[in-house]
Amino acid sequence: MKIICCIRPVPDPASRLVINESKTWIKDQDLSFVASESDNYALEEALRLKEKHGGEVVALSMGRESDAKLLRAALAMGADRAIHLVDQKFKGADEFATAEALAKAIEKDGGADAVLAGVQSDDLGSGATGVMIAGFLGWAHATIVIAVEASPESHKLTVKRELEAGLTETAEMSTPAVLTIQYGINQPRYASLKGIMAAKKKDFTVWTAADLGLETAGVGAAMVSVKEIHIPERTRKVEMISGTPEEAVTTLVEKLRKDAKVL
Amino acid sequence: MVLVIVEQSGEQSANRLSPATNELIAFAQRAGRDFGMPVAALVLGASTSHIVDELKTRKIDRLLNVDNPALAEYNPDGYVHAVQSVVAAIKPFLVATAHSVRGIDFMPRLSASLRQPFVAGCVEYEKIGDRLVLTRQIFNGKMNMKVEPRSAPPYFVTLSPGAFPGDGVELGAGAAIETMPVDFSGITNRRRILARSEVPKGQVDLSSASVIVSGGRGLKQKENFSLIFDLAKALNGAVGASRPVVDSEWLPREYQIGSSGQTVSPKLYFAVGISGAIQHLVGMQGARCIVAINKDPEAPIFKVAHYGIADDLFKVVPALTKLINDLKMG
Repeated sequence: MKIICCIRPVPDPASRLVINESKTWIKDQDLSFVASESDNYALEEALRLKEKHGGEVVALSMGRESDAKLLRAALAMGADRAIHLVDQKFKGADEFATAEALAKAIEKDGGADAVLAGVQSDDLGSGATGVMIAGFLGWAHATIVIAVEASPESHKLTVKRELEAGLTETAEMSTPAVLTIQYGINQPRYASLKGIMAAKKKDFTVWTAADLGLETAGVGAAMVSVKEIHIPERTRKVEMISGTPEEAVTTLVEKLRKDAKVL
Repeated sequence: MVLVIVEQSGEQSANRLSPATNELIAFAQRAGRDFGMPVAALVLGASTSHIVDELKTRKIDRLLNVDNPALAEYNPDGYVHAVQSVVAAIKPFLVATAHSVRGIDFMPRLSASLRQPFVAGCVEYEKIGDRLVLTRQIFNGKMNMKVEPRSAPPYFVTLSPGAFPGDGVELGAGAAIETMPVDFSGITNRRRILARSEVPKGQVDLSSASVIVSGGRGLKQKENFSLIFDLAKALNGAVGASRPVVDSEWLPREYQIGSSGQTVSPKLYFAVGISGAIQHLVGMQGARCIVAINKDPEAPIFKVAHYGIADDLFKVVPALTKLINDLKMG
């Protein structure tokens, strides 16, 4: 099986996010970036499928040159090749422009049996990019996947999806397909020293927008323009209730009945 | 035209309206007024007559129905095809559905296929001149982002649960039901459902619970969760939990609320001994009224709560349960 795993660079969750002067994004020049958390589970799942069925795992990412380290880390974990989409033009991409560029790269690399991506990124967090990639490629897709089994010889995948209210669904689908992988479905491995050494010799491709045949990309290809980002006002100012536990719960129940009208 | 795609509960197409539907219609009624456009609701499924009948009591200008065996079970291929056909026929300005397991499974695909804007998880919108500006959350709700679609309509959006309260929905005389002819020949469902595993019996569907009492690590040990169950019982509510509780196996996974569990928007939500990690907040901040009980007055849960008691939960919760029970007796 050939599996392409998409990796989204996002600011390290520990970093302090500051809005930029034009209020269109955060000041990210000096921030350290990591792979979006759910992408780690997608990569681990891709590696496990390869170990079981043979084939290769290609790590694919769009971002700054300095984020090449995320792809190096994926190679060290066991991915066979990496493709990095780097171009000033990719800046300011929304989910649509990101998915379009990734889909073009997947096509240029000759397609795959499956594309795996995290269920949602830790920055935009919409969960849309993976589904859009499937839309651009015309492939089947499944979201919020918590288990995958592959039958490469019959071009089938069996996936388990998480639904609402504790329900899960098992579905059979044809390949090629795009799967978005839920948090926590496996235990992502650490790169071994051997893996880190081996990564240095692995194939690392860099493509620009022009390489993908994209005339417009990033902010130019985005379907929405960002007007402003801001810290949401805490419209709800918490009303702290004091007193002994008995007094406090009496006041609380009164407020829930008379003010909030929810009891 | 503001078109909403009606959200049905569970993954079965033809069972019942989800609470999100009132939120969708309330949103569409407001947007319809602001932009001077009629409101249309679209029901997709097979044997959908009872859902259509229920919708007739809401103030809607057009009630569109695609009733076809190809939609007997939700599948993205069928949904995308049906919505695409309806959109081509009625040319809406805005197409909205819930930011739910289902909404996020098919709406982005429509955006890619039709090359039209998509905005996920909207929490607010504004009309600036004739233009639509949508607000969505980014960085797990730490920031909001206002975006404006760049192309001509239609615009596809999913609405964050609880952002447009459904109790504001206007009722009205039934719109005539229009059956939309959609040709499904040549459309293959490429993701065929083999099995669905149900929640264990007796388990409450948290997505439709109006009162939820959730417990967190502050309960210290599994046995103490009886305090949460007692309070929930007194309030006729359901029980939820934060991730650490589930990871420690105090409660099974289906109780988990938050980013890898369920998203809920009850009328009343109690967070007991929950610090308020963002992973939990994303699952419950749509609740109409949030009460936090936590010893630590600095806990982030108080930032999203409406009422807070910063005291020992082992004293506060039994007192609250007793008071609620006493009031019921009286």
